[in-house]
Amino acid sequence: MPTDKPFLRDDGRVLTYAQLLGRVNATRDYVPVLKTGDLFLLAENFVRALATDSDLVLLDSDLTDTEIQSLQLDGVNEKAAVKNPRAFENLDALFAAIKASRSALTLFTSGTTGLPKKVTHWFSALLERARVKEGYDAHVWGLAYNPTHMAGLQVLLQVLLNRSGAVNLFGKPRQFVLEQIAHCAITHLSATPTFYRMLLPAPKTYPSVQRATFGGEKSDAALYEKIRALFPNAKVNNIYASTEGGALLASSGEFFKIPDALSDKIKITDGELLVHKDLLGQSQTFALAGDFYKTGDQVQFDESDPARFKFLGRKSSLLNVGGYKVNLEEVEDALRALAQVADARVYGKANSVLGNILCADIRLNEGASLEISELRTALSGRLQDFKIPRKISFVDSLQSTHTGKLKRT
Amino acid sequence: MEKLAQIINKIRANKGNAEPVALTPQTRLREDLAFDSFDLAELTVHVEDAFGKDIFEDGVVDTIADVCKRLGI
Repeated sequence: MPTDKPFLRDDGRVLTYAQLLGRVNATRDYVPVLKTGDLFLLAENFVRALATDSDLVLLDSDLTDTEIQSLQLDGVNEKAAVKNPRAFENLDALFAAIKASRSALTLFTSGTTGLPKKVTHWFSALLERARVKEGYDAHVWGLAYNPTHMAGLQVLLQVLLNRSGAVNLFGKPRQFVLEQIAHCAITHLSATPTFYRMLLPAPKTYPSVQRATFGGEKSDAALYEKIRALFPNAKVNNIYASTEGGALLASSGEFFKIPDALSDKIKITDGELLVHKDLLGQSQTFALAGDFYKTGDQVQFDESDPARFKFLGRKSSLLNVGGYKVNLEEVEDALRALAQVADARVYGKANSVLGNILCADIRLNEGASLEISELRTALSGRLQDFKIPRKISFVDSLQSTHTGKLKRT
Repeated sequence: MEKLAQIINKIRANKGNAEPVALTPQTRLREDLAFDSFDLAELTVHVEDAFGKDIFEDGVVDTIADVCKRLGI
């Protein structure tokens, strides 16, 4: 492999594999708790941590100070010495160290109790799920997921281990994404249905794409057809993954089957998908039923083939908005914390663009007034953007259920 | 068309873009108005409330002309 092969491309900048090696070797420090919007820095820190068995915590780049405080994390963006300092002679040595890594990776997922849930994975468990094959080095991935989340990390890992290339598409505008797909001849995309919907209607087709993977939220057969037309040479498939367990199931359409190898590790009880704790990372906050984790993801069996099922949605107060999981209670708490707000009810409404749109009914304190733009500004200091309700109604009273709980649907 | 312009300018104002924009049939929602998927979702909800139609229901719209065609206005 030529060592000047591009590893990552971001907004016209290129980080080659040779440069990555140089950056990894340049220092024996790393940032154990990293929050950055710089993809190259994130990747360099990730690789240096893995190759030296150092543990790493990844935070979303747009987390607010309030959210970081609630996670009770110290030392954000402070440097520390790596665990097993060493220099890597060449890329082969670096990759051998990554493959043998004993690092633990900590990520955060939307929690069901208000606080984001901390999940720690042994890197070796993620490594097992990556697919490495001869010839994969020719792949060029579009990185359409947040690189601090499980799905984005798995793409980065897949790219690294195969020495493929990746182009950053996460959070980029549609025109840029389409240009990059053509310009960089992207061959592999893994993204949410919302991401794919944003690409439509496109001015032309993109023959370079060989595979388009859907994940992160429920999708539909009509969208698959449109994406097949957009990428005429692509195989389209669908994966079920979570921050708790990584990629677990794959299918070529909206229906899934539990593979034989996982038949004792994944099961469906009362219409809910349950995953054995062996497949999960470590967290103190998993609600286990026996040895199984209740995912809260509801499924429905196919009438014509009872071995097949599709996902219906979430059981708990987590709502999937464009591939992001939003904890409704957390948003309600943030609204109630505003001086003008007496009470609030946050709920989802089915939406053809995002799957669900976040709505809020808000009761203001007597005599208080609040413009929607003011409300959005106030929330943006407390919540990440995707958690901010987009349909806001000011009401005189809030509906509640017979148990006195706020009614969500 | 006036109603639609009101909705679009309201969404922009909610994002902190105080200056209303003049729309033409060629105005593109994503490129010209810089609407992301969350803004488009907000647009569908408000348009559905006003016109009773989901503009993204069976396909994707790109320009103001596409929206008007979908709404029959």
